[in-house]
Amino acid sequence: MTEALTNAAARELIAFRIGEQEFCVDIMSVREIRGWTPATPLPRTPSYLKGVINLRGAVLPIVDLGARFGLRTAEPTARHVIMVAHIAGRLVGLLVDAVSDIIQLDEGAVQPTPDVASEEVRAFVKGIFAVDGRLISLIDPSLILPAMEAEAA
Amino acid sequence: MDTMEEIRATFFQECEELLAELEAKLLLLEAGADDGETINAVFRAVHSVKGGAGAFGLDALVRFAHVLETLLDELRAGRKPCDEPTVRTLLRAADVLADHVAAARGDGPEVDEGRSAALVAELETLTHGEGGAPADLAEAEEDDFGFQPVALEIPSLEDAPAAAGGAWRIVLRPHGRMYANANETALLLRELGRLGPISVELDDSGLPPLDALDPAENHLTWIIRLEAPVAEAAVREVFDFVEGDCDLSVEPADGPAAPLPPPPPTDDLDIAALLAAAQAGPEPAPEPAPAPAPAAPATDAAATQAALTATPPAAAAPATIRVDLERVDRLINVVGELVIQQAMLAQRVTESGLARSSGISVGLEDLELLTREIQDSVMAIRAQPVKSVFQRMPRLVREVAEQTGKRVRLVTDGEATEVDKTVVERLAEPITHMLRNAIDHGLETPEARIAAGKSPEGVVRLAALHRSGRIVIEISDDGCGINRERVRGIAVAKGLIAEDAALTEDEIDNLIFLPGFSTAETVSDISGRGVGMDVVRRSIQSLGGRISISSTPGRGSTFTLSLPLTLAVLDGMVVGAAEQTLVAPLSTIVESLTPKAGDLHYVGGRDAVIRFREAFVPVVDVAQTMGFRDTPVPAGQGVAVVVETESGARAALMVDAIHGQRQVVIKSLESNFRQVEGVAAATILGDGRVALILDVDALVANARRRPAPAELKLAS
Repeated sequence: MTEALTNAAARELIAFRIGEQEFCVDIMSVREIRGWTPATPLPRTPSYLKGVINLRGAVLPIVDLGARFGLRTAEPTARHVIMVAHIAGRLVGLLVDAVSDIIQLDEGAVQPTPDVASEEVRAFVKGIFAVDGRLISLIDPSLILPAMEAEAA
Repeated sequence: MDTMEEIRATFFQECEELLAELEAKLLLLEAGADDGETINAVFRAVHSVKGGAGAFGLDALVRFAHVLETLLDELRAGRKPCDEPTVRTLLRAADVLADHVAAARGDGPEVDEGRSAALVAELETLTHGEGGAPADLAEAEEDDFGFQPVALEIPSLEDAPAAAGGAWRIVLRPHGRMYANANETALLLRELGRLGPISVELDDSGLPPLDALDPAENHLTWIIRLEAPVAEAAVREVFDFVEGDCDLSVEPADGPAAPLPPPPPTDDLDIAALLAAAQAGPEPAPEPAPAPAPAAPATDAAATQAALTATPPAAAAPATIRVDLERVDRLINVVGELVIQQAMLAQRVTESGLARSSGISVGLEDLELLTREIQDSVMAIRAQPVKSVFQRMPRLVREVAEQTGKRVRLVTDGEATEVDKTVVERLAEPITHMLRNAIDHGLETPEARIAAGKSPEGVVRLAALHRSGRIVIEISDDGCGINRERVRGIAVAKGLIAEDAALTEDEIDNLIFLPGFSTAETVSDISGRGVGMDVVRRSIQSLGGRISISSTPGRGSTFTLSLPLTLAVLDGMVVGAAEQTLVAPLSTIVESLTPKAGDLHYVGGRDAVIRFREAFVPVVDVAQTMGFRDTPVPAGQGVAVVVETESGARAALMVDAIHGQRQVVIKSLESNFRQVEGVAAATILGDGRVALILDVDALVANARRRPAPAELKLAS
């Protein structure tokens, strides 16, 4: 759903911060952004899955993106942000530190992920680009889910 | 093609309603109702099934319905007596008709040809009297069909063979009612055209001036010349389904000029008279086709009105609409969210410390009432009377009674009791099974009953009622009751209980629910189908229900099912374990107790058991098994909730505290995530947080094959 990278037309991305790093996803996959509310933990699930919260009556699983990328994470506080994303027909909450920017991206500016990045990061990062001297990694959110499905018994 | 499928689906849906109506009316007849309206209703139901089936070319169904209809017509006209044996035959014929419908729909087994043919013969004997039935029914049917109804109507043409010159002159003047019944002239003409080349002439001389035109009435006459050497019956068959809704004459072309169609009205003055003729009756009385043109110069509006109101009152159709179930479910979901939102809002307002008398609090109370009302109304949309299930049972009882040679009367009660559609649908199977059991195992043979001083006819009672927010279904018989000695003997023989086990009568009765238990000495075709009461119990439990039995030797047994009214909400016990709030389904809970430190006993290193009613049950620490905490609840603290799994095994769930009992709305985890072991579903509590509903069976099973504590923490 976030394909068409070859399309030269500019598209809008939403940038967010985890720790010191900046990432972004296609704005079209983000449905809403809300503050952190305590999640109900689920038994026998990976540690990056913070649990589930109530999104207007629907049960929304929360993925701690930082933990998913193998970054250091702290306990979430009220200042943390949940991006509600529509991924492969499901609603998933992505826990990040803060939403920082909305970026107009020219596809041509994206460079392939350099080899220096860790395995976890490279698994989700489709490419990197620079905006005003900041380095931003482009995330493909659909890659976050297959692992969840693979574990389904 | 899709449209056709839709129409077909609608037809079968209507068939179901018609068949239900048919059976209900027949049962009325059996009970002694002897008014003309009942037999008329029976006739109409069969007629409608036949009509629809004809349109879809379901020949077997049409043939059977036709034989049945012919007999009903005789009964309706009073030419044959509607006595008890006849009604019984009709009931069985209705069953076979239902089989034919199911087979035609493609979801039923093939119709038992032998049974069907035997009934056809029986019906024909009743219709024509002894010996009057044609021997070869299939052939007779072929010849009969489509011809006979016409014969009634136009006796003068009955023996007219094929047209002399190989051509027919057909004059057709439809009544407005024919169009109202969704027939269409063009289709009739097209159908005629299949018989041979036709030339059609339209006579519009009957058209009244515009100001007098009644758009719902027809003023046109078609004169058709059909060049085909076919039998008259073949021509008339085309008009089979519009008979009575049109003036029709069929005669050899070049014959005498048609005396027939009532002269088309030459001015607007005859409309009222025409209407009167058209409305003469819903089923045409045997009358010659050339309906005599009424001479009455009823010209004023009042007369028209009178003619209209003279129409026999059709059974008032209940104002209903068919709605896609998905739309209803969406509405129910949204309302569920509204309820949660409202509860959260109320909690926030309370937390904010506003006075109870403040405008906000008062408004909020009104909102709460409204929300509840909306929720009840929405749930009521999905609610259906259990009648649809109960209705299927008389047939089953007849069949089982026939097979077992027992005499059974089925008494039903509380058919109008409403319950959620999903629950209704899943009730049929357990009820069927238990009724079979009641007749097969419960009731005695007529001889044995007489010997025991009872009426030879056994009574099986099927009742539904609402009790404390649940629906209760009772199935009772006045048979011999449970033979406890034998049940006990079998349980011992099968190794289900120890030989010296001391069991109360109640406990013995409940042994029949154990897997692998079957009391039938000879495994009969009826209840011995490899499924026992344990299967019934499991299917009831999967609906969040409970089943119990009470039995008095010599007096009979009563099975009581208690089910939730809907599967969208669940009665749960809200418990706390390691800071988390969890919900245990109330239907699984046997009892809760607060064990003292000395009540817990350890078997081996860490497997604890607790003494409960003279037995030791394993202890499952919820927080630990769910991975919320590494250590169990310290001995002497916490509460033990004794649960029973679907297999009947008991376990004590250790939790920190019980917060209370409440009804919760079930939310799926799968829709946005996936199934999680040990969790049946989720719900949202009044504070807006998600609480997990425990899957007791999985939890207990998990605890048994508990991994080493280190692996218990949330996996990395």
